[in-house]
Amino acid sequence: MVLADYFFAPFFRRYFYYFDSYPIVIQIAILLTTIAVLATFSAYAVILYRRYAGNRHEKKLARINPDLDNYITENIILNEQLATGEPVNQIVLPMGIFEKSLYRRRWVQQATIDRIIHYRKNFGGEIGGLLKKLYIDLELDKVSFKRLKSVKWDKKVKALKELTAMDMSIADVNILPLTNSKNRELRSEARHAYIKLSKNEPFKFFDIVTEPLLMWDQLELFKIITTTKDISIPNFARWVTYSSNKSVVAFCLKLIVHYNQQQAIPAIEKLLDSKDHYLRENAINALGKLKAEDTENKLVSIYSNQPLTCQLEILKALGRMGTGNHLEFLRHEFLRSADFDVRKNAAKSIINHKADSASLLKELLDTATAENALILKHCMNPLIKY
Amino acid sequence: MYNMEQTTTIWEKIAWFFETFVFLYGTSMLLMYALLAMLSFISIRLYQKKAAYADYTKLLDSPLVPGISIIAPAYNESVTIITNVRSLLTLNYPKFEVIIINDGSKDDTLEKMIAEFSMVQVDFAYNEKIVTQPVKRVFKSTNPAYDKLLVIDKVNGKSKADASNAGINAAAFPYFLCTDVDCIIEKDTLLRMIKPFMDEEGKKIREVGEPCPECGYRHIQEDSRRVIASGATLRMVNSCEVDEGVITRVRPPKQLIPRFQEMEYIRAYVLGKMGWSYINSVPNVSGGLGLFDKEVAVKAGGYDHKSFGEDMDLVTRMCTYMRDNKMKYAIRYIPTTQCWTEGPPNLKIFGRQRTRWGRGLIQIMSIHKKIIFNPRYGRLGMIVFPYNLFFEFLAPVIEFLGILYYIYIIATNQINWPFAKILLLFVYTYSVMITTLAILWDQITYRYYKTWREVLGICLMAFLEPIIYHPLIVFFALKGYFNFVTNRKHAWGNMQRQGFGQKQTQTA
Amino acid sequence: MNEVPAKNILIVEDDDIMLKVVERILKREGYGVEIARDGKEALQKVQDNKYALIITDLMMPYANGFEIISKVNGNAEKRTPVIILSSLGNEDSIMEGFKMGADDFLRKPVMVGELVIRVKRLIDQNK
Repeated sequence: MVLADYFFAPFFRRYFYYFDSYPIVIQIAILLTTIAVLATFSAYAVILYRRYAGNRHEKKLARINPDLDNYITENIILNEQLATGEPVNQIVLPMGIFEKSLYRRRWVQQATIDRIIHYRKNFGGEIGGLLKKLYIDLELDKVSFKRLKSVKWDKKVKALKELTAMDMSIADVNILPLTNSKNRELRSEARHAYIKLSKNEPFKFFDIVTEPLLMWDQLELFKIITTTKDISIPNFARWVTYSSNKSVVAFCLKLIVHYNQQQAIPAIEKLLDSKDHYLRENAINALGKLKAEDTENKLVSIYSNQPLTCQLEILKALGRMGTGNHLEFLRHEFLRSADFDVRKNAAKSIINHKADSASLLKELLDTATAENALILKHCMNPLIKY
Repeated sequence: MYNMEQTTTIWEKIAWFFETFVFLYGTSMLLMYALLAMLSFISIRLYQKKAAYADYTKLLDSPLVPGISIIAPAYNESVTIITNVRSLLTLNYPKFEVIIINDGSKDDTLEKMIAEFSMVQVDFAYNEKIVTQPVKRVFKSTNPAYDKLLVIDKVNGKSKADASNAGINAAAFPYFLCTDVDCIIEKDTLLRMIKPFMDEEGKKIREVGEPCPECGYRHIQEDSRRVIASGATLRMVNSCEVDEGVITRVRPPKQLIPRFQEMEYIRAYVLGKMGWSYINSVPNVSGGLGLFDKEVAVKAGGYDHKSFGEDMDLVTRMCTYMRDNKMKYAIRYIPTTQCWTEGPPNLKIFGRQRTRWGRGLIQIMSIHKKIIFNPRYGRLGMIVFPYNLFFEFLAPVIEFLGILYYIYIIATNQINWPFAKILLLFVYTYSVMITTLAILWDQITYRYYKTWREVLGICLMAFLEPIIYHPLIVFFALKGYFNFVTNRKHAWGNMQRQGFGQKQTQTA
Repeated sequence: MNEVPAKNILIVEDDDIMLKVVERILKREGYGVEIARDGKEALQKVQDNKYALIITDLMMPYANGFEIISKVNGNAEKRTPVIILSSLGNEDSIMEGFKMGADDFLRKPVMVGELVIRVKRLIDQNK
């Protein structure tokens, strides 16, 4: 402010003859007024410029994209050689539009990368391979690798996204430092990339990561793990037993269910003795989905000591297993519990037993209170899903 | 600007105090706005950086996405109900349901839905976790194409809050999106609004107390920051082109009042809420569009049907619930416009709306007065409520007194005209600057509107606002306060019951 | 109702690239192809015409894929085969699709060869 005063004072003195004699408040007000007017006009200038530049970029993209689409459709998707069974790496892609110098410009290269990635999201198999070949032939991988060296974390994340989308392998020296970055977004993206691209031990982060995996990270990891082709799926029970990171354990439970790793059941069963409600809840859920019938008795025996969330999971698990061994227990819970959710889940699990519980269901319907009968009808109605 | 030594009379002393107070008040208000402008800028830049690589489509094919129940009360919406329900049913999200609460409509809103979506009455085990007016019937569609839809027919409870509560009771998923059935929601809204819940940092757990003697387990508490609500920018649909519930062309409102409101909304959301979101001090999630954690909302007691500002009331109670139970929480806003709402087209309806808001604000201030400057409530007590008290609630009062004072010194010819003009000009240009910056931040978020003329059309409102729109807002807010104060007895009775109900839900 | 040649296929998809590419592929295979960019257009088209096969996305503006399937096969004497082509990949949506009467479910990213074979099989079956 002092500096501004130094610069502006002569200016004000010329226009406001008495400026120096004004009270300080008025002086500041005059100064700030000037700043406000300048800021307002600068804001207009930025708005106008951004709109102009943005619209121009969009128009340019609108001219480029149809050419890119044409090229990709003609030479990649409808590739004649591909149709005759030629291996992808032996196909020679014509230069076509990419001969033009325009296609060596920075923004056009970016537009090309974005377009290729969009196609790869929609088309897999050999066409995906051919798209990757185009990406490498045009040396666009160098553009992405160069961005990986940027000082800005968001640029690095974008580069990682591009490279993983194209299944490019990244040298460990380049990616390992990023997996310890201070920036959370970059760190987790680098880990995702490592799991997808590393040939050595893709899952080694499960051993060392101490911070929780956020829901979003789990979602991305799940997608990467379940869609990457040549990843060797380990026995996730390892982390269920040894990891001290609760979110890693919970996440591995989901993967175990996805891959139906029956051999993990003993490890999960041990989790039932965990003192963490959240882990027990997840473990019970996994056991139910794995239909681990051997653990059924244990689940019923611990039921009364559990908090509500775990009790509900036990009821669900019994329904998923559907052995019929504990129908009496479910009946008891349905009739005796004061909690609405317990009754509803018990009812659902009874109904899940299908033919095995038909007679019990009839009995319950005939004898239940109005509210319990309503719960049963609710759960039996095929129109109501939840 | 009196010199104390020369003052003699008591009146002059009062005048001096008043002037000093108003001066300090005004200065801090201007500083607050400057601060908010900076915070919101950082917040929006961060959002933009993440948006450049965030891939929301990843949510679509994941089995791990949390489910969302959309809750939309409808009262006499016969004309638009079908297109709006259709538009809700076609949102992009893999796991959601749409719950429409027919709040005792007097027209054929319900009949139209039954016919269009081939609905039948079902035996629905409705769990009344929050007490509402009785639910008469529940409908589901026999056509599997509409199996996401659930229609509740209930006795009119004379408030949106009561209808929303019925929806919360019937909701199956852990999160619920509250909206109005006449709002138009962008297709990617659920994807964008659930993300803050999923990537909030600072997660950890902690063990509390002694091991339970029965089971040997120690009680574990989540010590992580839990996102309890998220919100997004709202805009006016008034002059937009809409085709069967889908916005096809965005346009600023042509009429004056809605256009002022569009400008005001941009400032309140993009500059205000985004700034607050950055320091985790969001005061309110708008009733037009908000995504909430159902468990916390239910434990906080749901919406209060007696409140005139039920959205802010719920958010405040959710926050106090979290603080009372020593859990960390966050409320996050995203800058993109996800919801388009019909703004009051004329002065009469607008006045009614703002009077209600004024009344809601004073009601919340008096119900939750224990929070104000209470360090026990953290940011809620030390930032959110003091700010609301001084700069939202007291602003109209102080402005009104200021005008009276001006009139008094003009009448008694004590005014220093040149200085008064300079100060007035300063306040005017400052307010124009803040609004213009808000519009800039909004344009940085996304290039809304098709032509730059439309943008300038909104910018122009910044110049007219202090003269036309702002005095109206002050007037209606004061009218709301006046209504509250004059209905004092009645309102007080409500509040007593309110306080009681609150305690009950907290111990439950 | 227009009686269109038996080999006509309707593609419903809101992603322009996907739409155009699938159109080209099927045209190369010798099918007649019509396109719809959103649910409204699709509902109109299935009401006015009869198709040998419908390929539809699930999430689109105005009406989703399930609605289109139910409109096509809801009360027709002769079913039209439907292939769902979607990025929605969770079990629920796939189950729902089949329950609604879809004949096939293809997840993005799509293998073109597979798509062509499935289209051919469904059309030949229905002759």
